[in-house]
Amino acid sequence: MSWRIRFTWWDKTLLAIMAVGAIFAFVRFATGIGTVANINNAYPWGWWVGYGIMTMIAIGGVGFTITALVEILGVHRYHSFVRPAVLMGLLCYTSAITMLMVELGRPWMVWMVLVSWAPTSALYEVGWCAFLYLTVLALEFAQVPLERLGWARALRILRAIYIPIMLLGVTLSHLHQSSLGTLMTLIPHKINVLWWSDNLPLLFLFSAMMAGPALAILEHLAAARWLGFAPRMDLLAGLARIEAWLVGLFLAFQMNDIFYRGAADALFSASWFTVSFWVEIGFGLMLPFVLLLMPELRESRNGLATACSLIIAGVLLHRLNVAVIGLRVRHWETYTPSIGEVAITLGITAAAIFVFGWLARILPIHEELPHLQTRTHPAAQAASALRGAEGVS
Amino acid sequence: MSTATVKPKAMIQDNTRCIGCRACMVACKSWNDRPADHTDFFAGEGYQNPRDLDANNYTLITFNEIVTGAQPDWVFGRQLCMHCEHPACASACPTTAMFKTDLGPVVFDESRCIGCRACMQACPFVVPKYDFESFAPKIHKCTFCADRLEVGLEPACAKVCPTGAITFGDRDDMVAEAKRRIATAPGTYIPEIYGLEEVGGTSVLHLSSVPFEKIGYRTGLPKTPMPDLTHRWLRMTAPIFAVLYAVFGALNWIVRRRMRHQKSEGEHP
Repeated sequence: MSWRIRFTWWDKTLLAIMAVGAIFAFVRFATGIGTVANINNAYPWGWWVGYGIMTMIAIGGVGFTITALVEILGVHRYHSFVRPAVLMGLLCYTSAITMLMVELGRPWMVWMVLVSWAPTSALYEVGWCAFLYLTVLALEFAQVPLERLGWARALRILRAIYIPIMLLGVTLSHLHQSSLGTLMTLIPHKINVLWWSDNLPLLFLFSAMMAGPALAILEHLAAARWLGFAPRMDLLAGLARIEAWLVGLFLAFQMNDIFYRGAADALFSASWFTVSFWVEIGFGLMLPFVLLLMPELRESRNGLATACSLIIAGVLLHRLNVAVIGLRVRHWETYTPSIGEVAITLGITAAAIFVFGWLARILPIHEELPHLQTRTHPAAQAASALRGAEGVS
Repeated sequence: MSTATVKPKAMIQDNTRCIGCRACMVACKSWNDRPADHTDFFAGEGYQNPRDLDANNYTLITFNEIVTGAQPDWVFGRQLCMHCEHPACASACPTTAMFKTDLGPVVFDESRCIGCRACMQACPFVVPKYDFESFAPKIHKCTFCADRLEVGLEPACAKVCPTGAITFGDRDDMVAEAKRRIATAPGTYIPEIYGLEEVGGTSVLHLSSVPFEKIGYRTGLPKTPMPDLTHRWLRMTAPIFAVLYAVFGALNWIVRRRMRHQKSEGEHP
């Protein structure tokens, strides 16, 4: 098999963005965090954590949401979405880990999380779960290149352990997606009342579930366009209907949470927090919810792309609002991300998209691309996991 | 020193006795080997210099201009790690690099630190600081001179204070002493001990002649330990894991059984 592809203009654009990010990353490691980033004593996390880790993990939820939809809820119609979703999950988590290596002050000590146990720490739980889940994703996805390589014995092992591993992945996702929210419950004195809630763990979990199908739809549309196949509009319309439910339920949950804990006054106070909140709710939830309720938009590529992009942007803004924008420490202290911070995160994101595009052109990831599908390998006949309906025998 | 007989220590910071000489800041820098730094005057409330704690300043006397009686007067306040009874920073640390010792100090072990800065984010008093310019950054904050306490000495700041504004001893005794001072001189003190109940109690107890928010203290903090906020979720981790795994496994089993039936029906109509 060939691992080579012909570079298109968007491959080259992504490589250019990666190069810029790499330069800033080099400066960060050569001269320390302070020269590249604006994070400071009052805002020790900033854009790197808000976008590069928290948002990446949230949209990486696409892996477990689509897997759960197909394998656990048994909606096998969507089995062709599982492979792209697992690969996206794998790349999102790898991006988050890469970001962590740049963002940590002492990245060479990161293994301490696995050695020096701290069960009272939400971050410790996130670290363990994310580490285990990354392993799960790698084991799940490894079947795809192995199929292409025809390594029958390794495939047999992976398929034998697929079900317990898949269940472990979905369970771990529930735990660490919510633990990221638990982490933020510790600082009610810093986060604006619009976002700080006892229920942040549930808000983070549900918004990750909401981001999942949205990213799956966007990916399918993008892949159809750039890899050249006809999008399965019937399936997308079905996913969009599920997504409308998820967005509507999340909107109801978040607003209910605000009223229940008596923060409704803050909804209409004159402050930038309020503006950021209504942008998040209005453009990230209400507008896409209305769009997805319209059947003709659920069946249009542009309608779906708009609604799902808004949802992803809304999840990004929710994470930023909780972890950066909604934070007020003392009135004289401020934070705006630096060019270096943004460039490094964009570089990592570009790398993830580049690797996805590369693998999508050499491996059987999209069923819609018949020339990449491997011939039925002896090992693939028994139980083809990661294939949903087909795989069950 | 981890015997049950060890009594946790505490410090009274009596701001009414402080004359703003900043000997505590000098002694602190000296004991902790912190370099001198260039500072600039800033606009805003407070006239101290530097404005805030940082990686080179583990304690700070704040200079506050307060109108007491007929004319403005200097009222001093002090910032330093409060050494909480239930430290949020330690509960947030994913590697136990931040922890509380039996004697009371909340200390930092750089050999376990990964540099995630969760402790800085977690601290309700905004105390831990970072040296962002360093290649191997460390968390910087007051150590309660844990190394001095271990050998029976008092913290450097308490040792040098010329006016008795800093008193060091067993926490029980310090609480009693703080209450006694307020009771015997009600005109001098506001009837409040900052740190007695804040976030579940701290090892530094502040006394003041004016409300604490006027001299730069963070007020309105909960009276319950901060780690409770995350603990009520985290303690459910193991049961939730077990329940979710079982539920998902059962659903998956049902789904696969249904698929098998459909398939066999399809083959043998």
